[in-house]
This record gives sequence, C-alpha cells and structure tokens, in this order.
Amino acid sequence: MSFSEQIVPSPTSAEQLPLWKQEGAEPFLRIENVTKNFGEFKAVDNISLDIYKKELFCLLGGSGSGKSTLLRMLAGFETPTSGRILIDGVDMAGIQPWERPVNMMFQSYALFPHLSVADNVAFGLKREGVAKAEIKKRVAEMLDMVQLGHLGKRKPHQLSGGQRQRVALARALIKRPKLLLLDEPLGALDKKLREETQFELINIQEELGVTFVVVTHDQEEAMTLATRIGVMNQGIIVQTDEPHDVYEYPNSKFVADFIGSVNMFEGKVIQDEPDSVQIDSKEAGTTLFVNHGISCSPDQVVNVAIRPEKIRISKKEPEKGVNCIQGIIEEIAYMGSLSVFRVRLASGKEVRVTQPNFTRSMGDRFTWNDAVFLHWDEDSSVVLTS
Amino acid sequence: MSMSLGSAVMDRMAAKLQKYNFVKKINWGRAVVAGIPTFWLGLFFFVPFLVVFKISLTEAAIAIPPYSELLEWDLEEAYISIKINLGNYLFLFEDDFYLDAYLSSVKIAVLSTFFTLLVAFPIAYAIAKSDGSTRVLLLALVILPFWTSFLLRVYAWMEFLKKNGIVNEFLLTIGVIDEPLIMLQTDFAVYIGIVYTYLPFMVLPLYSALEKMDGTLLEAAQDLGSKPTQSFFLVTLPLAMPGVIAGCVLVFIPAVGEFVIPALLGGADTLMIGRVLWDEFFLNRDWPMASAVAIVMLVVLVLPIMLIRNSQGKGEAV
Amino acid sequence: MHHKKLGLAAALTLTLTAPMTMAKDTVVNIYNWSDYIDPAILEKFETQTGIKINYDVYDSNEVLEAKLMSGSTGYDVVMPTGSFLERQALAGVYAEIDRSQLKNIGNLDAEMASKVALHDAGNKHNVPYTWGTIGLGYNVDMVKARLGDVPVNSWDLVFDPEIAAKLSDCGVSVLDSPAEVVSVALNYLGLDPNSEKKSDLKKASKLISASRSSFTKFSSSQYISDLANGELCVSMGYNGDVLQSQSRAIEADQGINISYIIPKEGSLVWFDLMAIPADAPHKEAAHKFIDFILQPENAAGVSNYAFYAVPNNKVEPYLLEEVKNDPSIYPTDDIKEKLFTQKAHSVKFDRLLTRAWTNIKTARN
Repeated sequence: MSFSEQIVPSPTSAEQLPLWKQEGAEPFLRIENVTKNFGEFKAVDNISLDIYKKELFCLLGGSGSGKSTLLRMLAGFETPTSGRILIDGVDMAGIQPWERPVNMMFQSYALFPHLSVADNVAFGLKREGVAKAEIKKRVAEMLDMVQLGHLGKRKPHQLSGGQRQRVALARALIKRPKLLLLDEPLGALDKKLREETQFELINIQEELGVTFVVVTHDQEEAMTLATRIGVMNQGIIVQTDEPHDVYEYPNSKFVADFIGSVNMFEGKVIQDEPDSVQIDSKEAGTTLFVNHGISCSPDQVVNVAIRPEKIRISKKEPEKGVNCIQGIIEEIAYMGSLSVFRVRLASGKEVRVTQPNFTRSMGDRFTWNDAVFLHWDEDSSVVLTS
Repeated sequence: MSMSLGSAVMDRMAAKLQKYNFVKKINWGRAVVAGIPTFWLGLFFFVPFLVVFKISLTEAAIAIPPYSELLEWDLEEAYISIKINLGNYLFLFEDDFYLDAYLSSVKIAVLSTFFTLLVAFPIAYAIAKSDGSTRVLLLALVILPFWTSFLLRVYAWMEFLKKNGIVNEFLLTIGVIDEPLIMLQTDFAVYIGIVYTYLPFMVLPLYSALEKMDGTLLEAAQDLGSKPTQSFFLVTLPLAMPGVIAGCVLVFIPAVGEFVIPALLGGADTLMIGRVLWDEFFLNRDWPMASAVAIVMLVVLVLPIMLIRNSQGKGEAV
Repeated sequence: MHHKKLGLAAALTLTLTAPMTMAKDTVVNIYNWSDYIDPAILEKFETQTGIKINYDVYDSNEVLEAKLMSGSTGYDVVMPTGSFLERQALAGVYAEIDRSQLKNIGNLDAEMASKVALHDAGNKHNVPYTWGTIGLGYNVDMVKARLGDVPVNSWDLVFDPEIAAKLSDCGVSVLDSPAEVVSVALNYLGLDPNSEKKSDLKKASKLISASRSSFTKFSSSQYISDLANGELCVSMGYNGDVLQSQSRAIEADQGINISYIIPKEGSLVWFDLMAIPADAPHKEAAHKFIDFILQPENAAGVSNYAFYAVPNNKVEPYLLEEVKNDPSIYPTDDIKEKLFTQKAHSVKFDRLLTRAWTNIKTARN
C-alpha cells in the first residue's frame, strides 16, 4: 500500500507553523472531557480534542469506535452525558441542532426525495428567511461550484451516486457554516469516483476556508483528506497526529495495525540508551536496533513495528549487518506497481515485504522457496510499548 | 472440433428455448394476475353499475319489479322499441333539494375525512416510530375493532353519547357541566361516528407511508435550520402524502354515501344523500329515481378521485 | 336466504309431483314482524299439523316490500300493513285467498274486516292478523310537572306549538313515517286524512313545522326504549310499542310511569294482514297456517303476547284480563268510531309527501 498521493498541507509562508503546532493558538472547536453513555455502554469515553480553524480533521475508527456518536454530538443530535463542546468559544450545551453554526453531510446524503436538486440546496437558506433573489443566486453559484448547474430541476432519484453526493455537499455548504461535519462522505461512491471526489472536497474546503470534521472508517480516505487524524477505538482517541506521523510514528500496536499493514516483532529491551534501543527478539531471531529512545522499564516486553515497504529484500547478504534477518519466500503477489512477498522466518514468523517494481523484470529476480535476507535501517522501525 | 461446435450450438438453442418458455410463462402469469381483478371489477362493479344505470332510465310503475321496461320487442313482427326516460336526471337538476343533499353529504364527508386525518396522523406516526413487538401490538389494536360488528360499535357510541349516557354521567360527576350535553342526534355525533368507524382506513396507509420514511431526513431538516414543527410540514407531511391521499380517498368515499351512521347518531335534520336514496327507494318506491341519485353520486365521487389519481401519476412521472 | 333456498327446493318437488296427486306440504315459510307471536303457538301448529315452520322476521314494511317487489322470495305467509298491501296487491304480488280452505273464517270480526276492505276490495288477498292505533305515549309525571293538571287527551301535546314547547326540554318524539303522521295531522285539522290535495299537504306541513323546533326526535322504534328510560316525555307511537315501553319501565322499577292515549280528535287505525305471495311454494300449508291463527285460542296467543288487538269475534274468553280490559289495546266503542284508515297514495303524491317530510325534518323551506 502506498500513500504517494498524500496531500501534505503547505503552510503559506515557510516559517508559519500550522495552528495546532503553535503554542497558545485558539482552537475553533474544543471538545472537553466529553462522555456519552447509552445505558451501560460508553460510546464516547472522556474525549478532549481541539480542532483549529480551516482544519480538515478526520475521525478515523472502526464501527462502534464512537466516532459517529461524537460527530452527532457536534451536530446536536445527541447530548453529551458529561463534558463540554465549544464552537468558536460558545458552549453548545442546550443549543438545538437548528440553532448551531454547524451543518452536516449525512452518510446516506439524506436528500429530500420530494424536492428538486435546487430546492434541496435552497432548503437551509429558506429557513433563514433570505430574500428570494439572493437564494436563487446563491443556489446557482453553489450548484456551479459542485458542477451541477444544469441539474437543478431534477429530483434526487434521477441522479447518480456521485451527483447526489455533490448535492448533499452543496446543501450543507450553502449556509456558509463555520463547521462542516461529514459522515463517511465518500463511503457510498465507487473507488474511481471516490478518488476524484477526494480532491474536489479538499479544493472546496480550501476555497471556502470552512473547518471540516470528517468521520470515516477508511484509512486511505483519512490519509488523503486530513490535515490531522484522530484515531478512535472503543470510545477514546488513541492518537491525534498529522497523517504522516500517524503512519510513520504510530503510538500503539492498535494504530500501527489499523493504519496500513505492519510487521510486528515482539522482544525484550536489552539496552536502553537515550537515543537508541536494542531489542532481543526471538521472533526475529536477532537483536533489533532502533535509533530512537523510549521510556520503558528494563526487561519490558515491547513490539518493534516495521512497515512492509521499508524492508529491503535481497538474495545476497547485505554489507551492513544490522536489522538483518533470514527467511524463505512463501508467496509472491505481483500487484503491478509493486510486488508483495511473504517470507517465513526460522521462528515461524511471517513477514510481509513490498518492493516497488523499478524495472519490468524485477519480479523475476525472486521465486518461491528462495532463501532471502531482509533488512531495514535503524530509523525505519518504531518501538511500541502499548 | 466439429463435435464440440455442434454441442455448443445445441446448448445455445436450448438456452434460447428455455428463455422463450420463460417469457411465455411470465406473460401467461401476467394475464392471470391482471385478469382476476379485471374480472372481479367487471362482475361486481361494472355489471351492477349497468343494471342500476338501466333502471335509472326507466319509469316507476306498479309492477314487479316496480319500473317500466327499457326494451320491448316482438320477434315475429320484427318490432323493437327502446324507451329511455331522462326525466329522473332532469328532475335531479331541476330540484335544488338534491344539490343541497349532495353538497351537505360532501361537506360532512370532507370535514370528517379531515378530522379522521387529524386523529390518525399521530397514531400512525407513533406506530411507525415504535419498535418491533410494540408495533405489531399497536397495529393489531388498530384493526381489533373490526372483529366486532360495525352496527354494534355504533350502538355503543349511542350509549356513550346519549343524554344519560356514560360521557354525560362522567362530566356531571366531576362537575364540568351542570346539565347533560345534547350530543346524540347532532352533527357532532355523526362526525364522531364517521371518524371512529373509518379511523383504521386512514391509519394503515399513513403508517405504511411514514414507516418507509428515512429518519435522517428529519435530522437533515433540523440541521439545515428548521424547527421540529417546520420539519413536520416541510418533510414529514410531503413524504407522507401518498398515504394521506390514499387514506383520505378510503375515508371520503364511504363517508359521502354513509347511511347507517347519520341514521343512528345524527339528528333528523342531518341531510345526507344516503338518506335521500333510502327515501327514494323505500318511501317513494321510485327505484328509477333512486338509481339516478346513485348514478350521479358515483359520478360525483369517481370524477374527483380520477383527477387525484391522474395528478399523482403525473407527479411520479416527472 | 336460508328460506329462499328451502322454498326453491320445495317448489321443485311440488311441480314434479303436482300432476299425480295434490301435494301434501311438509313445510311453511313465514315472514313476520319481530316479536309478533307467542313461540308456543308456532310449536303447537307444528305438532298439530306435522308441518314444519321456517320462521323469519323483519322490522319494517319497507324491507318486506323491497323483497316482495324483487320477486320470488320463497315465503308462504307474510304480514304487510294495510296501505302497503293495497299497493303491492295492485302490482300482482299476492295470490288470492281461497276461503274454502279456511274453516274458521267465520270468526273474523266483520266490522274490522270491512275497514280492511278499503285497502283490499272484498279482502281477496288478505286475512287480518292484528290491528292497532297510533296515539301518544307519555311519561305521566314529567308531563304533569310541565302542564299541571290539564287532562292529557289531545294531539295538542305535539301539534300546539306552545304546549309542545313546554315539553321540549324533556323530549318529544314523532314517528318517522310521513304518510301516517300527515294523515293524523290532516285529521287534527278537520281535513280528509287521505286527501291528496297539494293545498292540504301544505296545511299539514305547516302545522307540523310549527312545532318542529320542539321535536327532539323522529323515530319509529327508538322511542320504545327512550320512553322507558326517561329520555322522552311524549312520543307519538304505536299502541303495542308504547305498552312494551310501559312494561319495560315497570321492570326497570325506576319510578317511570308510562301511559298511552288515543287523542279525542281521533286517530289512525292500522291493520297488519296475513297474505300469501303469488309465487309462494306451499300455498296449501299457508292456508292451514292462516286458518290456525283464526282459531280464537291461537289468536289470543298473538294478542296476549304482542299487546295488539286481534279482529276475532270469539277471542275474548282466551284473552288475559289486563289485555282484554286495556282500552289502549281494545278501545271503547266511542273511540273506535273516531278511528280512520290511511289509504295507499299515488306515486306522485308519495313523492310530494316524502319531500315535504324531508323539508319538515331538516327544517328546510
């Protein structure tokens, strides 16, 4: 799996850090110790989170992780059992969904089947009592923006999935909300359409400068869209970071496993320096070197995580002997842009390795049952203590 | 090589044959499916309609049956005479009494349909929003009254509404009123009777429309700034419209021609076309006139309903 | 329906066997008003003759007429009211009665029979079953409370707007029967009760309309229970029905005291008649049944049970004391003189009458 398409937010000037990295920056959306119980079940468990203006923040998690409940609390459809939600400094407690400066794009799109596309989009403005001429103008603009200017008179059931998604987006954006909530915005689209739409969404978000909070279970979608990702599991946010950091520096086995694929070697810390550690791993059959420090107790059992694409595979023993293990190729999958190898180590552990196919004949260099060496750099792996 | 080619051709032919059979079967099935209701309508609606229409074109007579012959013939003399009497229809339009009766029936039917809608909507909504076993129970409760005789239930209402009936006794006991209210033999009682009797016919189509509605549409409406009451009128009601129309038609039609409810619960001054029809038939013994009244009522009823159906069909086509 | 089937089956057997010998009927299908005969009398007929009775009831002349006019009902004996039989006989609904088959025809009250002959010349199609009057049923105490000690003996109670208005608060009911009520009204006005003059109808309508606002109900059967439980204080009604109401009130023991009078201005006498439909499948059995009812002890079974008078010369010894001596069942001779019959109307007048009646009821003009 590769994230070559990943969009890295580019600061307008070189020295300007993103808001979430600036000390003392005011968050636009502040979630403070929010808990939501459904009977005995804790759907959201004491979450605190700051989201800044113009962010495109992704809440990423599996089903039942509490991400949708959190989103619904932002929209006002659910009331927190405890804790506070502040939008632009205003406490949302007791503020009804129709009074919030927030709009939502629903997973099912929830387009009104009895209204035309234009009337769907105009719905929010009409409730605000905007003048008719103004409504007409803004609806036309909005439909043009989502490239549906010619379909205003159609009914939702006469549109394709992608067109409906854009109507839903236009409808949610027309009131110029400070905060837009998107529930699985691309979930109902097929893969190709999804990729195209991802960029449209980002363009629109940047153009309008609205803060987006996106809920998704699709890590690829989160990686592509997000300025930051909050990975959720069992009602808590496990890690909040920029996509790159979430991928490269997962803080837990859960995150490493959830985002992309990863090889995990269990082992014991045998040498713990401030800026490096050595771990003896029976699974790997060798001592693994990692060039970052960790905080742990001596003899603690930890996991060394290494992404498949960071492992190099060769028939010859590499010159540098660090982080080098031996195994036999059990399976090769040719995927076009890359090849995936499954290598079995002497310990019985299976390791997944991906290699870009630099040349056409690349795949031919290895075959089943080849004895191979796997090795990686000391800065490629991460030690996970939890 | 040639063998396999041959078998491939055979396969294809077999497939074609199968397809042909299949298509034929569907057509036959469709004919049956469409044929049964057509036959039913023909036998139990169209034929009686023609009979009534025929009688409406004759004249009352002292005979069995008590009207003149439309057709008289004598085969030997090659003589056929058709005697059509349009007098009944002319009389209907000449005398504003009938117009008054139709209008009064339509007024009562429209109002009671409206009241039925008001009462049925919250019930249907609650059932649609309830879950699993509760829903089954509530639906059963809606249908339950049908298990007892309609007449019996109307008599029960008489017990409720009469001067020394249950409602008056109750209100007197708790001191809301000092003198019993006159409720029986009033239009009020007729409305109660019609609303009560036809409620299930309104609840069921409404329920089936509301049950299909996606709940997130209401959240979407709220999210876009509409308060719950606005959401109801802007989203729930329009989406329930097919159910509203079906329910209104199911209540309105029998209500217009209603005879038993106004006869038992209504006052002597409740003028309804069902009563007029009864009088024509039994008091005047004028079967042709009674038939003409019935035919005109049918036309008055069928026309608006055809219009409604037409407009609905158009709505879906767009 | 049940009867119809039976009747048809029996008719078939009849036609098949008729040429050989005179058939012996084993069933008879009777269609009578509800609660109009002592069931013991029916059983007695069955054991005496070996003929099985299929007994069915109706509660309005209109229902009976609709069935008869549609043809082939399968009934052998029906009991229409005089004015209805009058018109139905014209349409050819009934067979002629074969008097030679009625051994007890001599028991018939000739004076009453002559009144019936106004409906059916020579009484060719009927044998009278019962007779009764229309009068006023009233709640003795409620009326006294409102009118004082004025004697209750006149149609003024309903036709004088001032008096009717005084009674309105305790409930006044009028029969929902245009021909009968208009006849009574015409008679009250001193006009011919059977007049078909438009001007007379207008006068009668005017009279009834004048008190319309005081009438709380138009009812032909509901008044029976309403009088009994105190929801009405005056009701125009049939004598037997009012007496039924009276006995219900006595049973209920709520201190409600119901009485019946035939007003001094005179009133309508009606007859329910036994008749045989032209297509009756068991005419012989029908004659046997009619003859059976003409026997005084059986006629008494009708009178004692239904509180209506029977036109039978020899019935008196068999009548219960309270029936025999009740002037509301068997009126005194001077009252009897003031009773008139209501003839059937022409189709044209029926239409005018119905319209006038609807206008009165709905207070339309």
